[in-house]
Amino acid sequence: MKAIKARNLSITYNGKPALTDVSFELDEGRTLLLLGPNGAGKTTLLRTIACFHREYTGELSVFSREPCNARELIGYVPQSHSLNEKVPLTALEVVAMGGIYKRGFVHFKIPPEILEKAESALEFVGLGGVGNRLFRELSGGQKQRVLLARALMSDPRLLLLDEPLAALDPSARAEVTNVLDRIKKEKGVTMVITTHDINPLLEIGDLVMLINKRLIAFGRPEEVLVDEVIKSVYGPMARVIPAGGKIYCITGDFHIHSGGGER
Amino acid sequence: MIPEFILRAILASIMVSVLLGLLSPIINTKGLAFLTHALFHTLLFGAVLGMILALILNSYGVVLLVALIVTILLLILIAHLEKLGFTSDSAVGIISSFVAGLTVLGFGILYKVMATRPYFPLTQNIVSYLTGDIFLLTLDDLTVLTIGGTTAFFALLLLYRDFLYLSFDPEGMESYGGNTRGYLTILYVLVGVMGALIVQTVGLITLQVVAVLPGAIAIMVSSDLRKVLAVSLFLTITVQLSSVVLAYFTGIPPSGIATILLGTVYGALLFRR
Repeated sequence: MKAIKARNLSITYNGKPALTDVSFELDEGRTLLLLGPNGAGKTTLLRTIACFHREYTGELSVFSREPCNARELIGYVPQSHSLNEKVPLTALEVVAMGGIYKRGFVHFKIPPEILEKAESALEFVGLGGVGNRLFRELSGGQKQRVLLARALMSDPRLLLLDEPLAALDPSARAEVTNVLDRIKKEKGVTMVITTHDINPLLEIGDLVMLINKRLIAFGRPEEVLVDEVIKSVYGPMARVIPAGGKIYCITGDFHIHSGGGER
Repeated sequence: MIPEFILRAILASIMVSVLLGLLSPIINTKGLAFLTHALFHTLLFGAVLGMILALILNSYGVVLLVALIVTILLLILIAHLEKLGFTSDSAVGIISSFVAGLTVLGFGILYKVMATRPYFPLTQNIVSYLTGDIFLLTLDDLTVLTIGGTTAFFALLLLYRDFLYLSFDPEGMESYGGNTRGYLTILYVLVGVMGALIVQTVGLITLQVVAVLPGAIAIMVSSDLRKVLAVSLFLTITVQLSSVVLAYFTGIPPSGIATILLGTVYGALLFRR
């Protein structure tokens, strides 16, 4: 089954084109890495699939439904810095948020079964012991994993992740990537992940989509991540480096130092 | 023997403290300080309209009712503007400026209506509305405050967790099936209702301060939700009751004393940091 199907999808933001004429299909259970420079339209596409943004023309379906009719199938994981951390919520309360809105309007107390499920979700992402700690006091990687646990509470078939590795140190990136790998392998959830740094995610990505206001390339990583394509988006300094049977994509600002200290 | 008006003032202080103690942390975490500024304008506009009607109908009881209705409608409009995509500050700015202009026009009409009456009992009412006068509360005022306040208190308490989630991540809440529009509207209505109920006690001029500072102080001294609520409640009760006692002996309006006390605590904490 197709998890996402887009045909001639054009998205506008405040009347201005954000993404033009994009067509692609994503099979259920696959992981798509969405790559592109700042302002390319990655987050806008993600938010449109999640039904947060509705200014679009063309066709877009999630599990053969309009995005807004498929919300219960979607888990959205925002960037953790977009959250209001002044609110004194514990990690467990944040995770429980993903489960309580399936029933009722008043949630004075979190039902025990939701708390139990939230604890299991925290265990799944490797944070069994942090449930009672305040969300804002967790490290960046822990916060991201708490948000992943929250997304899992609604048993989604499609996970949309907005820059899950942004502003994380290498060890935190590895922790989050491991959790994403577990979600993919053990739960079979379809994932769309926007990222600036694709390298840590290449192990779990089945497909890569490169956009820059329009679709530049879409396909398997080894098809999309080639010098010619990368340079067309990121400029002449961008490169793809094969090493040890893997490929590494250098898209950002980087420096090559020669032995004499010259650049 | 404690005079009856003091007893009424103490009971009103306790009710107001409980309401503000619970509401103030939400005002701070949700970033609604500017909304309390809008509350000032909407309540004043509502009060002016209410006073015009009171003079025309010769029924002074309608002032609070009109202020309440006008405030709720305008706060719902602010919530609606936010859902249309305006930021909270923009929505408040649009409505506040519009309402401020209408209030001035309203005062013009009020003076004309007052000029047609041989006796102007509302002159005192306008001043007490601005500064608050807890010692002038009647038994009817106290009854309205108690019944309305208790209802608003339980509504706020029951939805407290939802309001926290709304403050934390409204998009997340929506994506997991939460009715963000509904919660936002109810929160704004509760802010409006509580504002209208307590304005006679705390006064319009100091309303914003007493609504914002207890929560701001509580959040400064603790990061645990239960402790934040406990500090906020303790602070509002202590300050409100102290201001009633001090006002009784000094003759200074209690709302002014309460505001100065809160400002002192807040300033001291900031200096300590």
